[in-house]
Amino acid sequence: MSQPHWIAILGVLLMAPLAVAQSNPDNARSSSPSATLQPLSAFADIADDTQRARALFAEIGKVIQHPRCVNCHPRTERPLQGEAGALHQPLVVRGAGGMGAAGMVCITCHNADNFRNVPGHPRWHLAPAEMAWEGKSLTEICDQIKDRERNGGKTLAELGAHMANDTLVAYGWRPPAHLEPAPGDQQRFGQLFHAWLEAGAHCP
Amino acid sequence: MAITMTVNGVKQPVEVTPGTPLLWVLRDHLGLTGTKFGCGVAQCGACTVHVNGLPRRACVTPIEAVANGEVTTIEGVSGPEADAIRNAWQAIDVPQCGYCQSGQIMSAIALLQAKPTPSDDDIDLAMNGNLCRCATYMRIRRAIKTAAKEIKS
Amino acid sequence: MVLHQKERARQAKGLDGRHQEPLLNLSRRSFIAGAGALVIGLTLRGGAATADSTAGGLRNVAGGDATPSLWIAIEQDGTVRITCHRSDMGQQAWTSMAQLVADELEADWDRVTIVQAEGHPRYGDQNTDGSRSVRYNFTRLRYAGAAMRHMLEVAAARHWGVAAEQCRGVHHTVVHEASGRRIGYGEIASAAAALSVPSQEAVKLKDRSNWRLIGKAVPSLTVPKIIRGEGTFGIDVQLPEMLHAVIARPPQVFGSVKTVDESATLQVPGVVRTVRLNSPQAPAAFKALGGVAVIARDTWSAIRGREALKVTWNPGPHADYESATFAQTLLQTANQPGAVRRTRGDVAAAFEQAAQRLSADYYVPHLAQSPIEPPAATARWDGAKVECWGGVQDPQAARRAVAQACGVNEDDVTMHVTWLGGAFGRKSKPDFVVEAALLAREVGQPIKVTWTREDDLRHGYYHSVSAQHLEGTLDANGRCTAFLHRTVFPPIPSTFRAGLETPSWGELRLGASDNPFAVPNLRLETGNAPAKLRIGWLRSVANIYHAFAIQSFAAELAAAAGRDPKDYLLELIGPPRLIDPRDEGVEEYDNYGSPLAEYPIDTGRMRHVIDIVAKMAGWGRKLPKGRGLGIAMHRSFVTYVATVVEVEVSQDGKLAIPAVWSAIDAGTVVNRRHVEAQVEGGTLYGLSNALYGEITAKQGAVVQGNFPDWRLMRIHEAPREFTVHIVESDAPPGGVGEPPTPPAAPALTNAIFAASGRRIRRLPIFGTDGRDRLASPTQAS
Repeated sequence: MSQPHWIAILGVLLMAPLAVAQSNPDNARSSSPSATLQPLSAFADIADDTQRARALFAEIGKVIQHPRCVNCHPRTERPLQGEAGALHQPLVVRGAGGMGAAGMVCITCHNADNFRNVPGHPRWHLAPAEMAWEGKSLTEICDQIKDRERNGGKTLAELGAHMANDTLVAYGWRPPAHLEPAPGDQQRFGQLFHAWLEAGAHCP
Repeated sequence: MAITMTVNGVKQPVEVTPGTPLLWVLRDHLGLTGTKFGCGVAQCGACTVHVNGLPRRACVTPIEAVANGEVTTIEGVSGPEADAIRNAWQAIDVPQCGYCQSGQIMSAIALLQAKPTPSDDDIDLAMNGNLCRCATYMRIRRAIKTAAKEIKS
Repeated sequence: MVLHQKERARQAKGLDGRHQEPLLNLSRRSFIAGAGALVIGLTLRGGAATADSTAGGLRNVAGGDATPSLWIAIEQDGTVRITCHRSDMGQQAWTSMAQLVADELEADWDRVTIVQAEGHPRYGDQNTDGSRSVRYNFTRLRYAGAAMRHMLEVAAARHWGVAAEQCRGVHHTVVHEASGRRIGYGEIASAAAALSVPSQEAVKLKDRSNWRLIGKAVPSLTVPKIIRGEGTFGIDVQLPEMLHAVIARPPQVFGSVKTVDESATLQVPGVVRTVRLNSPQAPAAFKALGGVAVIARDTWSAIRGREALKVTWNPGPHADYESATFAQTLLQTANQPGAVRRTRGDVAAAFEQAAQRLSADYYVPHLAQSPIEPPAATARWDGAKVECWGGVQDPQAARRAVAQACGVNEDDVTMHVTWLGGAFGRKSKPDFVVEAALLAREVGQPIKVTWTREDDLRHGYYHSVSAQHLEGTLDANGRCTAFLHRTVFPPIPSTFRAGLETPSWGELRLGASDNPFAVPNLRLETGNAPAKLRIGWLRSVANIYHAFAIQSFAAELAAAAGRDPKDYLLELIGPPRLIDPRDEGVEEYDNYGSPLAEYPIDTGRMRHVIDIVAKMAGWGRKLPKGRGLGIAMHRSFVTYVATVVEVEVSQDGKLAIPAVWSAIDAGTVVNRRHVEAQVEGGTLYGLSNALYGEITAKQGAVVQGNFPDWRLMRIHEAPREFTVHIVESDAPPGGVGEPPTPPAAPALTNAIFAASGRRIRRLPIFGTDGRDRLASPTQAS
């Protein structure tokens, strides 16, 4: 007999109780550059390249380790949901190509764009297991994203372009209204990322 | 706005407010009430239809997303998997109240179309998005396996 | 834009049977003119059977009026229409009621079609609640069928000029064996219609050995439609010119509208207008809750319209209701002496002398029925008369509530009953029908009121919250010598009479006052609690918390005595005997509406289901580490159910339920396939609620809104193995829909204890606070 299915309970969507009924959850609220992601200028004074790189990566980490990103870079085959690392309800798994299981693929619920309380993107899927970030330190994540064996074969330049321009990465800053966007915006994030690369891409 | 989609093989032009979920277009505008409303937030699966051959929760699918697409509902789903699922459902009376069953059946058909001989784990992963308060789960599981066997033979 | 297909589909929505009947075209025509139909006068709108020369003979059979024309129509083509007066909500009422009629009638099952009765007193009890459709109608529907067959035989005999005794109705045909002549029911129906109804004495019911349908696994009449998306649920009703309403209701019961700004709402495409609904004064009964209704051309526009509405609320008298503090209050009350409701021996003295004394407090929160189809109803006025459609469990109560709310006569209210997409008690409260009727009159067009999931969870009639205090003493041999049960909960009658706080006899008979334990000293006490929400019936009602407490405590006593829980439970129940709680000071014991003489409290039958289920589950076998079995038995709705749950608990506290076994003794069973299904479903209903079910309030408003925060068991969490044993019995039929639910939760928590040493006394086990591991054994639960 196969392994019984655990009754895993972490399924709380931590929304304000009356928000669902009364709110008007349209597409993502537009995000202007947030004070919570520092501008490039804040790092200009750090003379030593290694130190500056590490400081930059710590700032970049605010995005990378934000729920909007970690939720789809999970440690297990199950994505997370919400702001507190709850397991996605209903039970969904990575499946083939990160697209979900036969009979309930990601796009069973997720559309090409946000709709109501459901996030969306044309390429909505889970990052592969080798790109898991959940539960990892920033150092581990840093090593991981630089490693061509684990980052989808990208050169550092390609990695930078991905972070700055990819539209699925962009989702992190434009979730549905009830979810907190990643700090800052993709433009600033891209700038910080390139600056980190230029400083030598040293890991904390 | 005007939108055209194919529903159960018939071209259906509709005039609806942008952003109307497919569920309500089907139910209120086309009178196809076989697809049900249970939660409106993609948690119960009662609204499951097929869009371009894949299962979809109609309650969170904006009508724009199915423009020029092919929608199949419980009223029109057909084929060997649909026949086998219906036979199996009827053979042991899977439904009790029946309200969630349109969604259950559409999900089960989608599963068999993708995985003709699903394991228990495959059934869990495909079907757990469909809630049943009457808790017909054991029978759903049995019927999917029976249907898989029927198709195989 | 109105589409061709849409109009056709609208006309097709209606009452359901084998044939798709257009709701709006249901007319006398199909019953009377030229069809030779036997149902004379089964009109659609009230009134007694007219032109019924068949009046008389069978008006007062056990269970009510068994006059055949009330229940059966036979068309010239032989179609047999059987009227089902009970609501089908998944328990297969259509099928079981039809089996009773069709078996005695000797109808060809394939030519039977169902007509759903509207709500009307002529049908007797229509409150589909209390697990009594079969129980209440077992005799009278068989008489209706048998009488009809008798009349067909007499008519055929006259037609052939032979003696009636020589004619027999068999499988849709009357046969004269001596000559071999045969005539189909359809052909002879109109002749039979002219005959008088026989008396009960003249009608012979079949011996059960001759049943063709009753007792068999007859397939459901509704499933063939369900699998094609056919069939009309309350939410599916469509009428020409119908508008949709979605209502913003006060967050607190008896709250009311303070300010409304509808300007944004009126800008939403499809919205027509808003309507203010007054908030009721206590008691809530079945009155509309009040608020602001958004009226629109389709459901989505109404939903969006409501989202755009800006309302502020007067919170009303219950804004101080906080579930966390209320739980503490209940537990405190449960630990103080209460009103004595049943006494045997001297519990106080026994407590003093006891070698060992145990006590435990059990807590079960408010629960929501949460059928997957939320409440929905449609109403249409025609002058001073109103027609309503909806999935209601009690159509006569709906009629009364609408009449009262609208200030019209009941006879001017028609309540059409659709299929119910689950009910579990929610739809026996017709507040949503009242809303539809009020709005339709105000707006001047037919109105369908649709409740969203948030509405259903936030404006319910909840299963009452309860605290139970149990104490027991053991002698030196581990035998229980005294048993105290104190139960505290806001009573259901508070919904109907403001200010009631004392648990009622009606709720105590649900598993508390009929505790069967054979201990020398026993006492039942109650403590008072005020209701801050609308309290109502939820599948098996107070049996849920009474069984949870009693069956859990039985296992705790067993553990303290170092005994096997199953053996100890049998010892507590004691030898086979009949119990009458009224012998011990229980002032009222309504035995689920059935006489105790016919349905006694029989401990022998309790022991029997325990023995059976223990065998089924292999009770006593060695289990791998982390696995455990738990057992519970409960009698409710005059039926006995014993359940064993197997769990697996991992080292770090993860829980799985691989298998469940259940034995049910419901006396005579009409459809074994559907009884099995109810045992499966009712048990999982109890398990789901025990795992996750919790409705809480903050500032008087219910917190939970949708399935993320009111979780239900999903297929991957359900046991993969579920085995049901139905006890073969000739005893009168007992309830089936509810009895499987009460033993589920204690069997589960007892299993968790057996597997892991974790004792759970407070439900839900997980809830929605983010836990996914059981607390460690050393932590208090």
